[in-house]
Amino acid sequence: MAAPIRLTVPGTLRYRGIAVRLVAEAARLVSASAQRDPTDLLDNDVRDPFDTAVVSAFAEIFNNVAIHAYQRKGGGLIEIAITPSDRDLVIEVKDTGRPFDIDEVAPLPTELDEASLPEGGMGIHIAKTMLDEMTYEPGPPNLWRLCKRLPAARAVASGRS
Amino acid sequence: MPSPAFDIQRTPDETKVSVRGSLDINTAPQLGEEIDRLLASKPAHVQVDLSGLDLIDSSGVAALVKLYKGVRSGGGSITIAGARDQPLAIFKLLRMDKVFNL
Repeated sequence: MAAPIRLTVPGTLRYRGIAVRLVAEAARLVSASAQRDPTDLLDNDVRDPFDTAVVSAFAEIFNNVAIHAYQRKGGGLIEIAITPSDRDLVIEVKDTGRPFDIDEVAPLPTELDEASLPEGGMGIHIAKTMLDEMTYEPGPPNLWRLCKRLPAARAVASGRS
Repeated sequence: MPSPAFDIQRTPDETKVSVRGSLDINTAPQLGEEIDRLLASKPAHVQVDLSGLDLIDSSGVAALVKLYKGVRSGGGSITIAGARDQPLAIFKLLRMDKVFNL
């Protein structure tokens, strides 16, 4: 197992882009997918399904911490530890803001039509569905643990089995 | 201030909204303000082009849902097209691809 990649940023949305780009690069380490344009450091494009899942989930959790834990006011830090391996990517996100009641997140409608299109409450659902494992431990510090596994067939194909 | 992730062009017959880059919690509020102005004019037809959109989060989805619902409730029509890669995966996960006919 590789040593964790660590990033600590102030707990505001201003630092979201930096964190998301780091996570995208870490996902590419595991998936071995090619970035569309390696000379474009501002390229946010993610196309690989593994990268898509990791980036989508992490972005929602970062949003959640900045909005709910730190109430858009900052005042604390977001500590991110990313552990890539041959088979999966584990991301831990710590904050010292207000705990989040994950059980109060309402499920999305099972039958979606024009009238029931949701305008909120989708973030946790996106993160949970995109990942293989997602846990939350209220703190302090509050701890999100996100895990995405590389599909076995891809690990075999890349000689990682 | 994040750079705008959208462009709105109006003609007498149609309003075209092109979204590019990342539509997320930092950029969606700007689009939301434009959506409010756009909906106030009760547009007859809105075409949303997502072919330049690289990343979207739940805030970006919420902005597009607001646009979709607002146009429809005002008696207009709206088409959303061009979603690919991560944005398309998000719409599929949320089962909005069928509602939006993506």
